[in-house]
Amino acid sequence: MSDPSPWAIEAEGLGKKYRGGWALRDCSFRLPAGHICALVGPNGAGKSTFLGTATRLVEPTTGTLKLFGVPVSDPAVLSRVAFLAQDKPLYPRFTVAETLRLGRELNPRWDQALAERIVRSGSVSLDARVGTLSGGQRTRVAFALAFGKRPELLLLDEPMSDLDPLARHELSGLLLAEAAEHGTTVLMSSHMLSELEVMCDYLLVLAEGRLRMAGQTEELVPAHLLVTGVAEGGDGVPEELRRRHTVIESRVTGRQFSALIRPGGPVGDGWETLAPSMEEVLLAYLRSPEAPGLIADEARVGGPGEAAA
Amino acid sequence: MTRTRAAGARPADTAPAPGGPAPRRTLLHGLPWLVWRRHRTLLLLVLLTTAVGCLIFVWQRPGLLGFLHTHSTAPGAEGAPDNSFEHAYGQLFSGGRQLLTWLPVLAGVFLGAPLIAAEQEQRTLTLVSTQSVSRGRWAAAAIGLPLAVIVLCTALLSAAFTWLWEPAHLLVDGGDWLSGGLFESTGPVPVAMALFLTVCGIALGMLLRRTVAAMAATLVLALATGLWFERLRTGLGTLRSITYPYGSDGPALPRGAVRVDDWVATADGRLYGYGTCHTGDTEACRARLGIVHHVAQYFDYGQLAGMQWRGAGILLALTALVLAFVVWRVRRRPL
Repeated sequence: MSDPSPWAIEAEGLGKKYRGGWALRDCSFRLPAGHICALVGPNGAGKSTFLGTATRLVEPTTGTLKLFGVPVSDPAVLSRVAFLAQDKPLYPRFTVAETLRLGRELNPRWDQALAERIVRSGSVSLDARVGTLSGGQRTRVAFALAFGKRPELLLLDEPMSDLDPLARHELSGLLLAEAAEHGTTVLMSSHMLSELEVMCDYLLVLAEGRLRMAGQTEELVPAHLLVTGVAEGGDGVPEELRRRHTVIESRVTGRQFSALIRPGGPVGDGWETLAPSMEEVLLAYLRSPEAPGLIADEARVGGPGEAAA
Repeated sequence: MTRTRAAGARPADTAPAPGGPAPRRTLLHGLPWLVWRRHRTLLLLVLLTTAVGCLIFVWQRPGLLGFLHTHSTAPGAEGAPDNSFEHAYGQLFSGGRQLLTWLPVLAGVFLGAPLIAAEQEQRTLTLVSTQSVSRGRWAAAAIGLPLAVIVLCTALLSAAFTWLWEPAHLLVDGGDWLSGGLFESTGPVPVAMALFLTVCGIALGMLLRRTVAAMAATLVLALATGLWFERLRTGLGTLRSITYPYGSDGPALPRGAVRVDDWVATADGRLYGYGTCHTGDTEACRARLGIVHHVAQYFDYGQLAGMQWRGAGILLALTALVLAFVVWRVRRRPL
């Protein structure tokens, strides 16, 4: 860590081909350190495959992946990255204390006090067997194991999917607090779009194995407009709108059309415009995998390096 | 061994823990601790069985020697049919033989088969391979430590049992060390068999990814290996033969030898099955074929060690092959 790279993740031409075809294809982007980044995409979009390549569980077919400037094939990255798999695998016969000891024995930068605090704040007994814990308690122990490692990059695969709303709220708060305190970069895949809007300040959108969108939320979301007006033409979207702006998704209701566009300039007065929420933008991109992608300059490999700091 | 590996689990390029190292009281650290904790019950059971077995074998030996001393005049060269030995020690030897024959099978089924299969099934392999230790080092500890315990325990048990059996080898099973299971339960054979079956169990578990299926497959493989080894046994040494005139009783075989086969033979050494010319005009039949001799084929007791080491060598070579495959696969591809 003598010369920390400003990029937590740098992917270049990353691809993974399984027997059934490409799960991830030509994926190039970079994620500046310190962000809480959402990895969004429908099932089978390549989210888990990407997280697999970043945790050395999946060997990429093409391209390279660097974490903090270190190629992922180098075992040195292991101590800097923590991964929380979707099903939170833990040894069911270990007690909570033994599970934390596992973290201590296998990680050089282990923070026992932090891990114990996370477990205790959920009133989970250290002597309880992992197999007897509830889903929320189990996730909390898995969180403790991940945070106790003191990672610089925390990768989470659908971390909240099996939790009740209360535990979800509690653990999201915990995640944000710990990440903020230690400056951890977080990359989390999730289907909970509304929650991501609250938690994340960076976005990666995958669809059909390709990167559709990458960049800071505050840059990506305002780059879009919701336009409504009188429908005309074949699919309801006026030709003028289509010519001057990029239409991501459009819909016709009666004589009205509504479209999510990426404006190429000022939108004329003929239509009503609204600023979309992040959820609306994400949904539009997920529904229209053929629409042109949007990679912010900062997230582009070879883009301006200063912007990250 | 375990302590050096714990130290090696710390990559040199990382800073020490900010909170300082946590208090450590126990003997095992790092990966060896994890492997020990995971298989604690089973490994303790194996160690306990070994301790009890060795104690019994060693404890019984003075009594056995005393028995042999007082009965030293009684048994003949072949081991006379004497009920008192069978009565006093029959159960001990059959128990020891069973233990050393089945321990390798149990090790393969209950330790080998679930070793990687259970980690794959419970997805804990994802957990351990995303901690700070490389997959190669994890595999070395996860496979090496259980194998070391198995080798240690079977070697101790086999040594103690062989030590107990050797002075009484003329009496146990009537002196037959080949077919009754003593060949497989003494000397280096149990150790090699345990290693082979455990490694095969690990490989099957890794390929099948299901604990129960892997255990069943390992059991089948163990039984097949037993049958194969039984057939292999007589090929491990060169048969010796003794020739004597047809119709005579023939000389006694050397002490401790195991008679394998009997033939009838012509003067120039052509062998015929023992039943040749047993019906009809036997005299004329023999005269026609020129049968003038009996031939007895046997293994001498002195050949036992060589045959056992040869058999163990074959098993160990196979073990090395399977182990190399397992290590290659674990390192090459994410499981």
